[in-house]
Amino acid sequence: MAVVRTAAHRLWDFQIEGIENIPSDGPALITPNHLSFCDSIFVPSALPRRSWAIGKSEYMDSWKTSYIFPALGMIPINRTGGKAALLALDEAAAVLDAGHLFMIYPEGTRSRSGYLHRGRTGAARLAARCGAPVIPVGHEGTLAVQPPDAPMPKPGLPVTVRFGTPMHPDDFGYPDDPRALRQFTDALMYEIAALSGQTYVHQYASSDDKPGELASLPKPKIAMPPGRATAPKLSSAEPAPIDLRRPSPVGGR
Amino acid sequence: MNIASVIDGHESATTALIEEGQTMTYGELGAQVTAMRAGLAALGVGKGSRVLVIGENESDFVVALMAAVGLGAQCAPIRASNPLPEVERKVATVDPNVVVLCTTAKWLDGSLESIGRQVCAVQETVAAGAKLAPAALVECDDGDTAFLLLTSGVTSHAKVAVLSHGNLDWVQQAVVGGGDGLNCEDVALGLLPLTHIFGLNVVLFATLRGGGSVVLQQRFDALRSLELIEQHGVTTISGAPGMWHRWVNTEVEGNPLSGVRRASSGAAALPIETFNQVRDRFGIEIGEGYGLTETSPVLTWSRGVKPRAGSVGRPLEGVEIVIVDPDGTPTDPGDVGEIVVRSPGVFQGYMDAPEETAQVLTDDGWFWTGDMGVFDADGFLYLVDRIKDIVIVSGFNVYPAEVESVLLEHPEVRGAIVVGAADPNTGEAVVAHVSGQVDIDELDQFCRERLSRYKCPREFHVVDELPMSATGKPLRRALRS
Repeated sequence: MAVVRTAAHRLWDFQIEGIENIPSDGPALITPNHLSFCDSIFVPSALPRRSWAIGKSEYMDSWKTSYIFPALGMIPINRTGGKAALLALDEAAAVLDAGHLFMIYPEGTRSRSGYLHRGRTGAARLAARCGAPVIPVGHEGTLAVQPPDAPMPKPGLPVTVRFGTPMHPDDFGYPDDPRALRQFTDALMYEIAALSGQTYVHQYASSDDKPGELASLPKPKIAMPPGRATAPKLSSAEPAPIDLRRPSPVGGR
Repeated sequence: MNIASVIDGHESATTALIEEGQTMTYGELGAQVTAMRAGLAALGVGKGSRVLVIGENESDFVVALMAAVGLGAQCAPIRASNPLPEVERKVATVDPNVVVLCTTAKWLDGSLESIGRQVCAVQETVAAGAKLAPAALVECDDGDTAFLLLTSGVTSHAKVAVLSHGNLDWVQQAVVGGGDGLNCEDVALGLLPLTHIFGLNVVLFATLRGGGSVVLQQRFDALRSLELIEQHGVTTISGAPGMWHRWVNTEVEGNPLSGVRRASSGAAALPIETFNQVRDRFGIEIGEGYGLTETSPVLTWSRGVKPRAGSVGRPLEGVEIVIVDPDGTPTDPGDVGEIVVRSPGVFQGYMDAPEETAQVLTDDGWFWTGDMGVFDADGFLYLVDRIKDIVIVSGFNVYPAEVESVLLEHPEVRGAIVVGAADPNTGEAVVAHVSGQVDIDELDQFCRERLSRYKCPREFHVVDELPMSATGKPLRRALRS
């Protein structure tokens, strides 16, 4: 672990902000934006203690990852299929219950568009189940270091990882309010966007997205009324970035 | 079939209507309706005619509705308390063959003649019709139009919803039937306007169908309601939240609602505080329901299950409800989206407005309500806000109703309306208009402690009075820039 961290600082202009937001002991769920394969190197390297994460089991086949990922605490799991996914979350819960840090990407997959996508509620569910605080994380620069088809990360470039104020699902009405997990997830994504500088879109990441372009959604199940105007995918033509200067939340709904 | 047959088949000596202390039995009601039918038929009313009835919650009104619908006519009920220009506008919109005036609408006699339609008054028509040969109840199909109801809507101009015999019949069956259903022992408070689908179908038609009695109250007077409830042994009350709020805050001895076995609320969101107050004061748990004029109206309600605070209950059996994203994809469970429904109660469309109809009704019968909602894990529905009112801040949805309810938690805030305004940085921003003795900085801090950052208002405006609609709903559109 220390080896990887030292390497990260040597090879890149690696800046870390907000490290004081990570609790010095006890569980916490680390939730970063996801743009590049090498996010899984940089974010854990920025953490003051060891963390675990779910990694695609196919990654474990590569010589690069079969050494590095275990060193970073990666629990490999085949990410296809319901039962496997459930097992992975059970393992994640066990890690949190044991008082460790666990990393999960709320977007569920890499953002191919560059936008910050709608979060999946799984992270909130996990945090609520284990009573763990959630640390929003926004990073910048990893996409330039290793774009999607690049085989190796390019050294010498700047990477910044920013940790935000811890958040708690209980502050959002959990477990009484059925909207609590979605509301929490939306609030979490807002904080991540503020930390990463990305523009947010309220649509799940899809492997069909392209840089700056969202894939059109699959055929709807409920027919739309014929006279209704086409629903806009984005709130405005140019989604606006989030004001970074406003203070972090104390709690909230 | 014909929904006017709800008054038939009951013991003729049992009470159907109670009005200002006078009772009208099913026998008497039936006789008046039969005579009215003959009288209207003599004026040329038949299947497909349009009959506009002007009145209030009075026995004349019931007689006129039942007679017109009984002839297979399309009936448009409107209130006599409308000012004359309103009445004229509604008459022009509906374009009826005949206008029927109830006792409370007599003042219009003479004012309407100039429009060149047939105008008649209920009692005179009944008297004339009693001397004529009876006009039989007309057989109708499920799809035949029974009612033309004007939907006021606070966010759009008035439209005429076309409701069929089948539409109303289906909802009546749901309301009357089942183990906890209405029967001939029931006495309902008929305060909700009979010109509105809630009062018309859920109170009037359903109660009469079950053979019970309806205590007609023309004007809202909280104390008078409580007196009527106690005096006539009312067993079932359907009210709007504002009514429940006033009843529970009226000074009266004892518990006038001790005989009430069913209490419902609809037409607007029931504040949790009101629910609790009613439970504590009257020992009743209000079952909230949800529906629209366009759905005849009941879609969901809390009958038969323990009500959950803030929920409008579970879908009626036979009602399909899906929560969808703007393009029709069903949302993940627990996510908010537009409520889209399909049921036998979904209306036929808006009269003479195919474009408006095409905006909300699909070819296979799905009605897009324009309301945002979410289900919990047990299938209870919660309403969030109107889709048109959503404010999108940096790509995130903010529901004004949610921000308003937080503002109303502040002790100094009397009223609050939240709308969106254009913002160069975030697309839209949240703007709050509040009435009350408030300090803006303090209110801002209050919000930050309770709401996610992007939901907090960018600016606050303190005003003396907030714009309200005629039905007491806050008028957001009046405050949008």
